[in-house]
Amino acid sequence: MTQSVLVLGANGFIGRAVVAGLAQSESLVPILGVRNPSGSSTQTLEKRTVDATDAQSVAAAISGVDGIVNCVAGDAQTIVNSTKALIEAASSANIAPRIVQLSTMSVYGSSIGVVDEASPLRGDLGAYSKAKVAAEALASGYPRVVTLRPGCVFGPDSEQWTVRYARLLLARRLGDLGSAGDGYCNLVHIGDVVQAVVRALESPQADGRVFNLAAPEALTWNDFLVRFAVALSAVPARRIGARRLRIEGKLLAPPLKILEIVADKLGLRPPPPPIPPSLLRLMAQGIRLDSRRAQEELGVCFKGTEQMLTEAAQWYLSSA
Amino acid sequence: MIEDALEFDADKTIVTDVCVVGAGAAGISLTLELAARGVHVLLLESGGREAEERTQRLYEGSVADERMHSPPHRYRQRRFGGSTTIWGGRCVPFDEIDFEQRFYVEHSGWPLQRAELLPFYVRANQLCEAGEFEYRATAAFKRTLRPLIAGFESEHFTTDCLERFSSPTDFGARYARRLQESPYVRVLLHANLTAIRLGIGGTSVQSLLSRTFSQRVITVQASRFVLAMGAIEIARLLLSSRDTHLQGIGNQHDCVGRYYMCHIAGTVGTLIQNRAVDNVWHGYDVSDEGIFCRRRFALTSQTQRRLQLGNFIGRLHHPRITDPAHRSAVLSALQLAKGLISYEYGKRLHGEERLSAARWLGHVRNVIVGAGQVIAFGHHMLRDRFLAARKFPSIIVRSPAGRYSLDFHAEQEPLAASRVTLTEERDEFDTPRVMIDWHYSALDLKTVRESVRLFAQDIERCGIGRFEYDPESIESEMLRYGAYGGHHLGTTRMGSDVRTSVVDLNCRVHGVDNLYVAGGAVFPTSSQANPTLTIVALAVRLAEHLQAAALRERASVLA
Repeated sequence: MTQSVLVLGANGFIGRAVVAGLAQSESLVPILGVRNPSGSSTQTLEKRTVDATDAQSVAAAISGVDGIVNCVAGDAQTIVNSTKALIEAASSANIAPRIVQLSTMSVYGSSIGVVDEASPLRGDLGAYSKAKVAAEALASGYPRVVTLRPGCVFGPDSEQWTVRYARLLLARRLGDLGSAGDGYCNLVHIGDVVQAVVRALESPQADGRVFNLAAPEALTWNDFLVRFAVALSAVPARRIGARRLRIEGKLLAPPLKILEIVADKLGLRPPPPPIPPSLLRLMAQGIRLDSRRAQEELGVCFKGTEQMLTEAAQWYLSSA
Repeated sequence: MIEDALEFDADKTIVTDVCVVGAGAAGISLTLELAARGVHVLLLESGGREAEERTQRLYEGSVADERMHSPPHRYRQRRFGGSTTIWGGRCVPFDEIDFEQRFYVEHSGWPLQRAELLPFYVRANQLCEAGEFEYRATAAFKRTLRPLIAGFESEHFTTDCLERFSSPTDFGARYARRLQESPYVRVLLHANLTAIRLGIGGTSVQSLLSRTFSQRVITVQASRFVLAMGAIEIARLLLSSRDTHLQGIGNQHDCVGRYYMCHIAGTVGTLIQNRAVDNVWHGYDVSDEGIFCRRRFALTSQTQRRLQLGNFIGRLHHPRITDPAHRSAVLSALQLAKGLISYEYGKRLHGEERLSAARWLGHVRNVIVGAGQVIAFGHHMLRDRFLAARKFPSIIVRSPAGRYSLDFHAEQEPLAASRVTLTEERDEFDTPRVMIDWHYSALDLKTVRESVRLFAQDIERCGIGRFEYDPESIESEMLRYGAYGGHHLGTTRMGSDVRTSVVDLNCRVHGVDNLYVAGGAVFPTSSQANPTLTIVALAVRLAEHLQAAALRERASVLA
């Protein structure tokens, strides 16, 4: 018997990968939940137009589906409102569908040390982390939700955690950061996130469970940056001093951010990426996701770091 | 957490799992590794975050022969970060032969083999920020490197070996944040260890007493104590703790302070090449991870065994700087800028020679003729050393005449007579000051003499040219600046025989249940290698041992 699964935010980075992953599985049939149906290129799959922040629109979109994967991305308000709408709609459905809620490690906020699923949610690192905590709180009231908290989602097409870093490394603006890069990077391959989503949908015992997702190797940002630089042949990897990082965060980041927004609006080639203070803070944060539960209960088998970095570097260099 | 004992308004007693004394390469590494294993640590440090004159003066002492050894307060930094605040960053692991018992090296042989230390070396390399633990040039570099001397082939020396350079990492600055954030760590600055109190029977440490300049007394009780200072300071504290054992702690067989080693180092000879082009590459190769690496001429272990020599390495070096005959504008500029270079680095660069007027003029002439080179060099040093976060490790100057000297660094045989003792003088906390009486052996001289001879022979045989040197000057050259500064080793050497060692295989002081030593003091022999990497590796190994001991203890309490 197959399950139909509506993927909300199906055009986003994670949504696209989830759709592709579900399409490959034998028991799951993806349905694309998209705001704007014209943009998507997949022809053979069913598509439903939905305003994810509107409960009525969502209620219509989820009718008859067995599962929903919530990959909706956006600003803080969108994150909270879409989860609210989804839970409302799902709660009034005849047969309650299973929901997989894509959350984030950001819910742990400024925590440091080893963090497992029972650790307190701080949500104290800005609007995004606060909104994600609020969304989780809304979702937790629904009995059939599985919450996934991935670390930095890495791999082909990951603008934030792969493309941006590749560009910064090739421009020699990042490298070994010394004590500013001592934080753990909690990388998780996009394929492993998809794997976790599939397992969460298939596993009958997963209701109400929460799972951290991160490759088990304790990789610091420095390790990551140097190894990714080597994989990209951006060598020799540079050591970036504290002075240089202060200039990046305080002086260069604001104008680069504005340029980025302007270029995006005008459809120009993206300018050099900024290294905002929030990113610098993250790279120094000694937070380490404990993802043993995902391995034990969902049977997620995380990709090795070396393979992850080599493949991503090859992808980037061949697509750039 | 990092605290300052000067801010305490009353005396204190602190209870912890492990107390580590000395926040240098060994103490900070050990503390980080223990904390990572969930063991609570108190790290006592005499100094503060910056150098302080009053604290540094606690290191003062005397030397038996000023020509043989620098004063005890030099090359050692009594402050958070220890001597890593001034080190050069050269990382080299010990060779397999260094751990072996060699009949021709008296008191040689470690109670462990290199293979047992390997996993800890890997971690140590990370802590020192020296890239991956790969010291074979051919394995570390995928590209083919330019040979050190084109055409050089030798059965006596290998050049497939590297030294890797740390940033150089100041362990204090680099790891302050981790120490500050760890829930397992408490660092106490400005706390000077003044007494080690043994329990009844004298077989275990009951407490440590430390004092501040503000007259506070901090008493530390712990399950285990680790002395992680330098070899001179550890000997001083063990010898001066005479409440229970009159001869000092761990000193039943009069070993503490003995077998004191540095390295034998110097610069000799002149390589004169046959060909007009300069076939020498004596600089750095940068690895993909961005680490400065340098190859060297290492005396193979087969040659060492066959000729019964200690361990030895050499590097090609710029000609002696003091003589303007080298015609290098850069070297002359460095000579004239002598006053700007620190004692520790200047000593081997310029020596303490006074410059004659003729030589001074010669240097000025060189600088004027090669002003462009001086500017280029100044720019390189400014960009790649002073402003760079990973510093260009040393001065590399190509010789205008294609002439180079041989810079060597060799093992020193452990000698019971080479030692650190106490004098009648006392420091501000009433701890006796030290006297250093450093000696070298006939083997040390033979090692250098034979190695240089073999090098000269190989240069000639390969048709490269000739290596000119005066065999009679070897001894005076290797002693020109005395013992190599900064590498203080062996005063509480590791061994299984209590008559010739102070600590056991696990770095625990013989006869004292809970007192350990981390640092160069435990080295039974000195190798050709600079000691920091091995100091850190042994500290990581000790962390594992102490964690296991703590676990066993907890298990027996529960049982």
